Parts: sequence; structure tokens; C-alpha cells
Amino acid sequence: MSYISFRDVKKIYTTGEVSIAALNGVTFDVEKGEFVVIVGASGAGKTTLLNILGGMDTATSGEILVDGLMISSYKKKQLTTYRRTDVGFVFQFYNLVQNLTALENVELAAQICKNPLPAAGVLTDVGLADRMKNFPSQLSGGEQQRVAIARALAKNPKLLLCDEPTGALDYQTGKAVLALLQDTCRKQGKTVIVITHNSALTAMADRVIRVKNGQIKEQYLNPEPADISTIEW
Amino acid sequence: MKQLRKTTLRKTAYREITSTLGRFLAIFGIVALGVGFFSGVRITNPAMIRTISAFYKEHAFFDLRLLSSLGWEQEQVDAIAGREEVLFAEGSSSFDVICKDPDDKDIVLKTHMLTTNINTVLLSEGRLPEQDNEILLDNESRSGYQIGDQVKLSDANDEDTLGHFSHDSYTVVGFTSSPLYINFERGGTSLGNGTVDGFAYLTADGYADDYYTEIYVKFKENPELYSDAYNDLLDARRPEWEELTEALAGDRYEKLLADANEELGDAKEELADKKAEGEEKLADAEKELADGKAELDDAKKELSDGQKEIRDNETKLRDGKKELSDAEKELADGKETLDFSKRQLTDAERQINDYDKQLKASKKTLDETDGKLKAAKKKLDENAPKLEQAKKQLIQAEQTLAESAKGIEAGELELAQKEKELQAAEAMGLLDDTSLAAAKAQLEGARAQLAAGRMQYEAGLAQYQKSILEYSKGQTEYEQGLSEYNSGVAQYRQGLARYQEGVAALEKAKADYTAGLAAWTRGYQEYLDGEQEYEDGRETIRDAEKKLADGKKELADGQVEYEDGLKEYEDGLEEYKDSKQEFDEKIAEAEEKIRDAEDEIGDIKEPDTYVLDRGSNIAYSCFESDSKIVSQVARVFPLFFILVAALVCMTTMTRMVEEQRSLIGTLKALGYSERDIMWKFSFYSVTAALLGCIIGYAVGIFLFPAVIWYAYQMMYISIPLDYYFDQVLAGLSLAAALLCSVGSTYLSCRLELLESAASLLRPKAPKPGKRIFLEYVPFIWNRMKFLHKVSFRNIFRYKRRFFMMIVGISGCTALLLTGFGMKDSIVGFSSAQYDAIQVADAEVAFKNGTRDKIPPSLETVLSEKTKAYTLLGSASRDLVTQRHVKNINLLTPAQENFTEFFRLHDCNDETRAFSLPSPGNALLCEAIAKRYQIGVGDKIILRDEDMNEVSLKVSGIFENHVYNYVIANPEDFQLDLTLAYVSFDKNEDPALQQTYIAKNKNVTYVTLFEEFENRMNNMMKSLDLVVLVIILSAAGLAFIVLYNLTNINITERIREIATIKVLGFYPNETAQYVFRENIALTVIGMLVGLGLGIWLHRFVMAQIIVDMVHFKVTIHGISFVYSIILTMLFTLTVNLFMNRKLDRIDMAQSLKSVE
Repeated sequence: MSYISFRDVKKIYTTGEVSIAALNGVTFDVEKGEFVVIVGASGAGKTTLLNILGGMDTATSGEILVDGLMISSYKKKQLTTYRRTDVGFVFQFYNLVQNLTALENVELAAQICKNPLPAAGVLTDVGLADRMKNFPSQLSGGEQQRVAIARALAKNPKLLLCDEPTGALDYQTGKAVLALLQDTCRKQGKTVIVITHNSALTAMADRVIRVKNGQIKEQYLNPEPADISTIEW
Repeated sequence: MKQLRKTTLRKTAYREITSTLGRFLAIFGIVALGVGFFSGVRITNPAMIRTISAFYKEHAFFDLRLLSSLGWEQEQVDAIAGREEVLFAEGSSSFDVICKDPDDKDIVLKTHMLTTNINTVLLSEGRLPEQDNEILLDNESRSGYQIGDQVKLSDANDEDTLGHFSHDSYTVVGFTSSPLYINFERGGTSLGNGTVDGFAYLTADGYADDYYTEIYVKFKENPELYSDAYNDLLDARRPEWEELTEALAGDRYEKLLADANEELGDAKEELADKKAEGEEKLADAEKELADGKAELDDAKKELSDGQKEIRDNETKLRDGKKELSDAEKELADGKETLDFSKRQLTDAERQINDYDKQLKASKKTLDETDGKLKAAKKKLDENAPKLEQAKKQLIQAEQTLAESAKGIEAGELELAQKEKELQAAEAMGLLDDTSLAAAKAQLEGARAQLAAGRMQYEAGLAQYQKSILEYSKGQTEYEQGLSEYNSGVAQYRQGLARYQEGVAALEKAKADYTAGLAAWTRGYQEYLDGEQEYEDGRETIRDAEKKLADGKKELADGQVEYEDGLKEYEDGLEEYKDSKQEFDEKIAEAEEKIRDAEDEIGDIKEPDTYVLDRGSNIAYSCFESDSKIVSQVARVFPLFFILVAALVCMTTMTRMVEEQRSLIGTLKALGYSERDIMWKFSFYSVTAALLGCIIGYAVGIFLFPAVIWYAYQMMYISIPLDYYFDQVLAGLSLAAALLCSVGSTYLSCRLELLESAASLLRPKAPKPGKRIFLEYVPFIWNRMKFLHKVSFRNIFRYKRRFFMMIVGISGCTALLLTGFGMKDSIVGFSSAQYDAIQVADAEVAFKNGTRDKIPPSLETVLSEKTKAYTLLGSASRDLVTQRHVKNINLLTPAQENFTEFFRLHDCNDETRAFSLPSPGNALLCEAIAKRYQIGVGDKIILRDEDMNEVSLKVSGIFENHVYNYVIANPEDFQLDLTLAYVSFDKNEDPALQQTYIAKNKNVTYVTLFEEFENRMNNMMKSLDLVVLVIILSAAGLAFIVLYNLTNINITERIREIATIKVLGFYPNETAQYVFRENIALTVIGMLVGLGLGIWLHRFVMAQIIVDMVHFKVTIHGISFVYSIILTMLFTLTVNLFMNRKLDRIDMAQSLKSVE
């Protein structure tokens, strides 16, 4: 039994008489501790996939198992709890609360879970020990994203979901952030799922899932995941 | 191209509205509310004034009321009516009078003379009075009368009052409203309990006076009611009219004086006439009495004369009687003589007859011998001449005898004559006794002579007869010679001669007899006459006796008559004396009257005149001040609403522009002009504002006036409100709405439009987080949950929103608090008055009290039926300040325990109680003190109806809310006791006690303060509704502001909210995260609002001036609680409403880029 398992998951948006299948029977598995890259063009369905996996949305049909839990059958509240304890999100635009300092942003997440990691420690881990008391507007994009990662990590989640984490960052910073994510995966054994349209990133993944038109076009394990520093795009 | 572009732009603009309907409605709502409230409240006052103005105009409400202390006549009315600026002028009268209501209770009616052109009435039922005994009554306070009932004037009225009315009972013919009384205030009076219970109208003839008490004047101009134009007009005319009024009153004074003097002159003249007449009559009476007296005296004399005469007559009568008996005797003698003569005569007659027979026989013998004789005769003839000669001698003797018989006869006649004369003289009393005796003697002499004559005659006769015999003898001798001569012839001749002799003798005897008979007859006649005379004399005596008796009787009668006359005279004299006294008294009285009249005329003072304007009409003034409440509210509140509306528009539009930043950029990049872009946003806001303005205005100008008018109708006349569309106000509202919308759009867009298209297209840098001051207080900050920290940071982060929120929420709270506070103050004043100040249970007004005593029966009732009571004098006085004259109620407590019934304490310090003022000092109620800025230590002047002034020093200002009291020492006024404040035993039913006490004949009324309190509260219910309007408006305002702000708050932070939702915040946690700010802001706004509300409440209450009532500016604790709870409730309702919106926020939003 895989750590994460999608079985024939469909997501159909119905607007009036028009039904659009954002996901049309998606099936894949992810093992624990893997660094997964889900890649696809705009509109392929990868965000829908992320929403459903992150408990932000529910599937129309199909089964989703995470760590043995059937989250596809979860109600709204259970999904919230799932998001609260099991999932750490990293957004493309960081989504930090502007009114909170770096540390507080981390705490914001940490305060609501059962066994959070110490916020300051996590921030130190992501290399922001001396920026903890800064407000997001006082931080660079990379730093903000690192705060966001720290916020996700502090919850000590089962998996880390990253939506285009480098989309708003410049190349180098993006690389650094990705390195941090890879590092986290490797060192802490967290399951990290990165969603991106950048195929170049597939090289660093343990598992690559390629999505197209709401279906899995291909999925494979990368026998030799490259270090991020070696990847160029 | 341009056309096309605009179409597209328009499309986006339309769609914008439909897609953000909530926001659109928020602007619409706040503008509608703002404009509605603004225009509604603003228009209410003018609409009310227009309504009343129209009513006043329709009923020709007076402009001036002219009073003169001497009243007016038609002449003056005509003089005024004839003036150019005057439309109507009419004389009228008004008097207060106590009447009996159908329950036989005394009520005071203010009666007016029905006028035809001015102050025309609005008949509600029945008809106008036509007869002088008909009455039209107050429709609002009918006092239980029905049409057809009799309104009886009470005996309690003084005569002066009753003298004004031509009847003592009037028939109710209808009920009416009057422009003089557009509210329920009927004013005060000096009669009864001092309150007028209702007004009434009578016809001119319903009054007994021949003058008017007042003249109502209506000018031709009709400026807006209460307007400056009107006041200016009146101010401008006042001096002239005051002069005119004085002059006209002067005319009347002169005329009155002249009339009075004329009348006095007439009266004087009449008096003089009457006096003269009376005196004349008295003099006549006096003369008559004197005459009567003289007459009486005469009568008395006459009586005594009569008595004397009677005595004389008695004497005379006695004399007469004697005389008569003498005459009787004489008569008897005469009779005897006559009888003798008669016998003689009878003998003579027989002799004659015998002789006659002899003669006849002789004749026959003679005749037989004649032949024989004839021869012989020749012989005898020779002897014949001798015989013839003898015969001649005989005839001569016979002649002499006849002559002497004739002389006797004449003498007897004369004697009889003389006797008669004497008798007559005797009867007439002309002769005295002596002369009478002489006469009688004379008479006797004559009689004796006569008798002698007779006797001579008788002797003569006898002589004669002897001669005859001698002659016969000669004859015989002759015959013997003849016989001797001739046997036959001689014999014959002898016989014949004898015969002839016999015949002659017979003839002679016959003649003698005849003469004797004649003499006897004469004598007999004489005797008869004598007898007659005697009889006459007797008769005369009898008559005299009778006369005497009559005279005596007459005299007795005369005496009685005289005595009667005397008595009559004495009575007359008495009567005269009485009349004289009466006359003197009457004259004195009349003179006194004339002196009084003179004094009275001297007392006719130059008349005081008053030119009163409408301000003297209570209702007119009340309406102005009452409607001012609304206009004062209208002055403060709507501005507030407009301000909030502007702020709401501002924030909303700012938010909208911010949201559409990239769109602006895109449009700009596409080449749309700034104006076009501005138009798009303006279109949105202007559409919302315009719609809001129109709807708000339309609803506002009807709803608010309707509600408020409805409320005022509880106190004012029921006439439909004259709604009106005020273009200026509409324009103003529109301008305000447009200014709000366009202004806020412009301000919001301006900054954005300044930026380049490129920078607009880039997401706007989020507003940086900032440390707040709290963070520098680690003690607090560190203990706070960081979620709270977020809230706090957020609160201070968005300053405009913070400001908006504070303004909105505090405004809402302030309005609520003001509204509730108004209610508290308005409702509370009467309970403050009657539960804490006038703590007595009832007020008993009575009459017949003196300065220090009340009627004993009342004293008994009071001590029996009450637990305790205090007595005081009360009166109405004018408080005179430099600029104003204000009517107040003066109380002069007679007992120290007054303060147990009327708690007197400082208006600013409840713990500082006042004791009763000492002489020269007064306690003043706070309403008057505040209104006229009178302080402790100031002098006040109290003036009564007769303009007597008393100056007092204000020793304290006491809390008081109902009526305007001045409390002073009885020493200063010497009022009779007229009032008692009483308290009842807790176990007793006050209503029962009230009825019992009211039964006492001295009691004019008993008022339970509890009832009074209720009545006051009822009166103020109209304001309740106004308060409700304010509360509802405040609620509407709060709701819209909160909704709008929360809406903006959420939409602004939608990504943040989505993010925390993604982070796994449960819905309630999310809500808390968002609404904690709202709640915190609400709390802050509320705190500010409470402060603001206290201020606003004070301000509004200061504007509300209602006469007789001083509101207790107070806000109850519960009102604070209500305001807080309601504000919170609005916030929570809005939050609840917005929570659904939170739930609907798609978490996927978090993934989107920053817009």
C-alpha cells in the first residue's frame, strides 16, 4: 500500500449544462519520503490535483488514500483537520500574513497543530535566524518563500505540497528554495510534492507525474535524482 | 470608434453593478438612508409649519390683538378696519367663567365672541351658535357635554363675571376646533383651580356688555409662519400700531369720560329737578296742612259759634213759644168776639127774614088798600117832602156810619199789618226786647184805639138805628096824620110807608147784616189769619226746634268731623314729617351716588393698551418651540448621516478602485482616457447615489413627516399634514449625494490614475506590516495570543477603515444613546418630579381660606383622610426680566413641613437641601433660572395682575421639572391659603380618599400626582415616536456601516482568509480571526460613541424647550446597556451575515496571484 494513492479520481465542474472534467480518472501512487514533481502545462489539471490532494477541494469520484486514510470520503471538517495536521502548503505567492513577522507567520501555523516544531528552530533551519522579527514586506521574495516553507514545516506535516514554489522567484532564489525543499525531503524524510509547469525540475524528483488534459500522461520513478544545483533551465 | 468604445465601457460598468450588487446596495442604502433622514427630518419642520400656516391662513389667524383696559367700541374697530394694510379687523370679547359640567363639577371655560372673518372656527360637530343663548364648545375637551345640553354658569362666579353674560345657561349647539387653540394647552386663568378646561364660543349677544374686550387684526400680507419676513413685518408695524392703539383707546377714553360726565350732569340735573319737585310737593303739603289747620281752627270756632247760636236760639225759641201762647190767648179772645158777632149776625138774619115776611104780608095789605090809598095818597104827598127830608138825614147818617166802619176796617187792617211786621221782626231777631216791647205796646195801643173806634161805630150804629126808629115814628105820625087825613089812604100810606119803611129797613138790615157779615167775615178772616199766623208761629217754632235739634246734631256731627279732621291733620302731619325725612334721605343718597359717580369718573384712568402679536397665543408659541425640536434634531442628525454616507461611499469606492487596479491599468494601456475610466467608476457610484438619493428623498419626505406629525397630533389639532416637495432641499440632497459619490470616486481614482499603466498592471505592493505601540509593552504583548496580535495590528494598519469604523459605530451608539436618553429624559422628568421632588400624593385646592386658617370642615376632612398635609398659598405672577415677562407659579408655604411634600434641593447637587426662604428671598426653579440666566443672589421681580411688583433675592435654584415655580415667604405676599399637599396612608386607596376629600364644599379640586405623572407621560408620548424614529435610523445607519466595512474588510483580505483556511483554520477560528477586529473596533467605536452620545444628548436636550416642563437631562444605566447591546447586536448580525460570505470564500483564491 502506497503512502499516497489516487484511484481513478475524477473532478467534474458543472456550469449549467456544460460539464468540464478537470480530472478525468487519475490514478497514481506516491511512497513515503519521496520527492515528487507533478508537471504539466497550464490547464492540464495539476492545480485541481493539488487542491484535491491538499484537502482544499473534494473529488467528484474515485478514491484518495493518504497514509492509509481515505480522505476522498472526508467531510468538510475532517478535511480541515487533515489540512491542519497532515499537509503543509507552500504557495507560489508565499501567502504570508503581512501583518505578522516571519516568526509569527510560522507560529500562525504551528499554533493550530498537535505537535508542531519550534517555530524559531524551523526558521533557523531555513536560514532565517536573523530575520525572524521582520515583517514579510521587509523580506525578499526568496526569504518570504523560505518563511512560507518554514510555516509549512513547523506544522510537522505528513506531506509538503508546493504550488509553483519558484514561480514568483528569480532563477537563483528559485533554485535555493528548491534546494531547501529537496534538503527537507532528504533530511527529514518528508514527502514533498512540488507542482510545476517546469519540466526541468523533473530531473531532481524521485517520482515524476506528468499530467495532461486531466489525465496522467506518464509517471515514472527517477532512479538517479539529480541534485538541484546541477539542474539548469 | 468612440461610440463603440463607450458601449463596451458601459457594458463593463453595468456588469460591475450586477456583479457587485452588495457593494452597490451599500452605497445605495447609505445614500438613501442619509438623504432620507436628512430630507425627511429637514422637511418635517417646514411641512409642519406649512400645514399649520395653511390652517392659520384658512382660518384667518390674527396678526395683532389689540387690548385696552377700557375695552373697545365698534367705532374703533371700524377705524382699524378702514386702514389700508388691514384685511380684517373685528371686535371680540373673551371672559373666563366657571361652569357646571354635566356631573355638576366646576370647570373653567374660556369664552370667546364668535368672529366672522378672523380666527374662524373649524366645526367638528353640530352648528354654529345663532341665538344669544347658544354655545359652541371645545371639540378636544368636551367635559362630558352633548349637543343640546345646558352649560350652566356656576354660582361660584363673582357678580362681575356673571355681569358679562346675558344668560346664566347656554345650550350646546356644536363642537369645534379653533385656530386660537391648535394644541391641547388651554392656558391659565385666575378662576377655579387656575386651569382653563376648555374654550367656548358665544354670539355677540351672548354677552351682556356693550363693548369689546379686544380687537383682532389681520393684515393683507401673508408671509410664511414664524419666518423672519413675518417677524420683520410685525416689528416694522409695531411702533405705528402701538401709537394707533393708544390713540384709539384715548378716543374711547375721552368719549367714555364725556359720556360719563354728561350722564353725571344729567343725573345732577335730574336730582336738582327732583329735589325742587320734592321740595315743592313738601311745601304744598305743608301749606295744605296749614290750611287744614286753619280750617280746623275755623271749624272749631264755628263749632263754638254754633253752640252759642244754639243757645241763643233756644232762648229765642222760648220767647217765641211764650209769644205764641199769648197769641193763642188773643186768638181765643178774638174768637169769642167773633162768635158773638156771628150770633148777632144770625139773629139779625132771622130778624131780617121775619121782617121780610111781615113786609110781604104788609105789601099784600098795602096792595089791597093801594087803590084806596091812591086817592088818599094825594093827601099824603103833601107830607111827603118832610119825610123825604128826614129820610135824607138818615141816609146822611148812614153814610157817616159807613165811613166810620170803613175807618175801623182800615185801622184793623193796619193793625194786622203792624202785628205781622212785628212778628216778622221778632222772628228774624232784628229787634231787641225793648223795642219789641215798645212796638208791642204801640200795637196794643193801636188795637185799643181800634176797639174804641169800633165801639164808637157801634154806638153810632145804635144811634142811627134809633134815628131810624125815630124816623119811623115820624112816619107813623105822618101816617096817623095821613090816616087822619085820609082813612084808607092814610092807612095805606101808612101801611105802604111802613112797608116801604120795612123794605128799606129790611134793605138796611140787609145791608147792615151784609156789612156785619163782611165785618165778621173780615174779623173771622182776621182770626183765621191770626190762627194761621199762630199756626205759622207754631210751625216756625217747631221748625226752629227742629232746626235747633238739627243744629245740635249738626254741631255734634261737626264736632266729630272736627275731631276726625284733627286726627287726619295729625296723621297728615306725621306723614309729612316722614315724607320729609324720606325725601331728605333720598336726596342725600342720590347726592352720595353722584359723589360716588364723580369719584368713579375721577377713577377712570387713561387706558392701558396692549398690542399683542401671535406670540401671545400659547399654541402658536408652543407649536414653534415644539416644531423646533424637530428642526434642532434636523440640524444635528442629518449632517451626521451625510458624513457617514460620504465616508461609506469613499471607502467603498476606494476599495473598488483598488480591486480594479489592474483593470484600470489595462484600460489605460488600451488607450482609454482618464476621463473615461473615471466615468466608469463614477457611473457606478453616481448610479447608486442617485438611486439612493431619489428613493431616500421620496421615502424620507413622506415617512418622517408622517410619523412625526402623527406623534404631534397627540398634542396638536388633527388636521392632515401638508406634504411638500422642497426643490431646494431636493437639490441639496442631490448635490450632497453626487458630491459624496463623485467626490469619493474622484478621490479614490485620482491616485491610481496618476500611476502609469505598467505599474498599475503590476500588483500593488501589499501594505507593510507595522509594529504597534502595544508591542513595546512586552508585558502585555508577550502574553497575547499572536492571533490577537494580528487583529490588533490589523486594526491599526488600516487607518481609514479604522476611522470609518469608529465614526460609524460611535455614531450609531451615540444616536442610540441619544435616542434612549431623550426617551429617558422626556419620560423621566415626570417621575423625577413626582417620585423624588413633589413626593406628596395629591394636591388639594380649596377656597375660603385666609392667610393662616382654612375652613374647619376642611381641616377635619384633611386630618381624617390624610396621613399628613401641608398648607400653602399659591398665585400666578409674572416674572419680569429685562427682556422677557414670564408667567410663573408662586408658592408661599405656610408650614415648615412643606419640604416633606416638596423636596427642595439644589439643581446641581442633590444632597444640598434648601429650607424655606426667609422674607425677601425666593427659591427659583431651574428651568426659569437657566432660561433667563438668573443666578443665586440675583434680584427677581414678581408682578401681579395689577402691576404690583415685589422684588426678591434668589437664595437658591432648586431642581424642578414640571411647572415653573417660585417659592417665597408668605410674609412677602400675604396670600390666602389655597393649596394643600397631602400624603395618604399606604393602605388607603388614593382614588377613594380623593373622592372623599373632593366632596368637601370648600374643595375646588383634588389632583393625584400619580395621575398627573401619567398625564404628563401621555403628553410626551409624541416625542416617544420621534425617539423611535431616531433609534430605527441609528440602527439602519449602524447596519449599513458595519455591513459595508466588514464587506470591504473581507474582500480586501480575501487571500489572507483563504490562506488561513488552507492552513487548516476551522470556520469559527477563521471567523474569529476576521471578526475579532470588527468586535474590537465595535467596542472602541462604542466607547467613543457613548462619550459622543452623552454630549449629543445634552446638546439635543438643550435645544428642546417645552414650556412648563424642564427635562431632566439624564440617561438611565439601562439606556447605556441598550445602546451597547444594540450596537453589538448589529455588529453580530452583520458578522453572522458576513460569516456566510466567509464560508463561501474559495480556498483556491489563495493560489491566485495578488491582484
